[in-house]
Amino acid sequence: MYSLHKLLWEIRRDQALRDRYLADPDAVLDEYGVTGELRGAMRSFDFKTLYERGVNPYLIYFCAIQLEVPRAEYYARIRGEEV
Amino acid sequence: MGTGRVVGAFTASHSPGITGWPERAEPGRRRRVEAAYAEARDRIAALEPDAIVAVSVEHFTNFHLGNLPAFAIATGESYLGPVTAEMASFVNVPQHQYPGDAALGRHLYRFALESSFDPSLVEGGLDFDENFCVPFKHLDPESSIPLVPVIVNGVNPPWPTPRRCYDFGAMIRAAVEAQSEAERVVVVGTGGLSHWVGLPQAGQINEQFDRDFIARFESGDPDRLTAYTGDQIEEAGNGAHEIRTWIVAAGAAGTAFDVLAYEPVPEWITGTAVAAARM
Repeated sequence: MYSLHKLLWEIRRDQALRDRYLADPDAVLDEYGVTGELRGAMRSFDFKTLYERGVNPYLIYFCAIQLEVPRAEYYARIRGEEV
Repeated sequence: MGTGRVVGAFTASHSPGITGWPERAEPGRRRRVEAAYAEARDRIAALEPDAIVAVSVEHFTNFHLGNLPAFAIATGESYLGPVTAEMASFVNVPQHQYPGDAALGRHLYRFALESSFDPSLVEGGLDFDENFCVPFKHLDPESSIPLVPVIVNGVNPPWPTPRRCYDFGAMIRAAVEAQSEAERVVVVGTGGLSHWVGLPQAGQINEQFDRDFIARFESGDPDRLTAYTGDQIEEAGNGAHEIRTWIVAAGAAGTAFDVLAYEPVPEWITGTAVAAARM
């Protein structure tokens, strides 16, 4: 859990990390040691699953905005709707 | 006993929409909220405070889950806000330095430890987000009054209990009274009321919760005000946990408050309120 929380927080703070994540998410997820279900959910922007597994919604939301997920799409995803 | 006194206490919401997109609210609601902020601003100015103890949460702007204080006291000479140019644009507040009352901050921190509270020390580097930038655009538009920022965790469970928040506020009052450098001190708590951030309910407002909270806040009865579990607050959204900042202010005031405005404003995704201590 902490590895993902750390990644979400740092993507918001670090433009270069954000750019690297957008270019090659798996490399960054490897680097942070994000594995298992949380990795899959992060990889596919399944914000609903992230929230249900206990990831802080402020950090999910702020990171999604930083990764240029439109707000309407964010809310569709957190509701578990198809986008 | 020093000659310092808490001469006023105020509380207000800090939704980015209040300053970032005020025009989207229904005009009557906007007018009543802005009139309440103006009333609070005028009252603060009339009190001629030497310093403001400013109590809020912070939204992962400085702290993170590698280090998340339940309470923190800042002792800086100045504070940058909003934290980035992007946030400055988002909340429509020009990026600038807010003055800090470092001496009062250091006194408050030491007094807290000597009073069996264990806040984190933040000697510098604390940047502001909407927590202070939004309400202080209305309450002290020139940023002329030195601040002692106090941060309460309202963004990640588990949270400090409402009783602990009230007692922390009472400690702030005792700390102010134990020194004489800042003779006239105002306490301002910012956050709440009901709202959801990053969750499917974003845009909903739990007006029933808000009105019940206001009734408790206006009653001046600490037992009623602190009789919340974390789960009960959660019913008004993850953002509602910020009411802890109001409870700290109530502890510092030691009196009932009058709510100057309450408006459920979906466009600001927040049950929006401004209040002043009856003192």
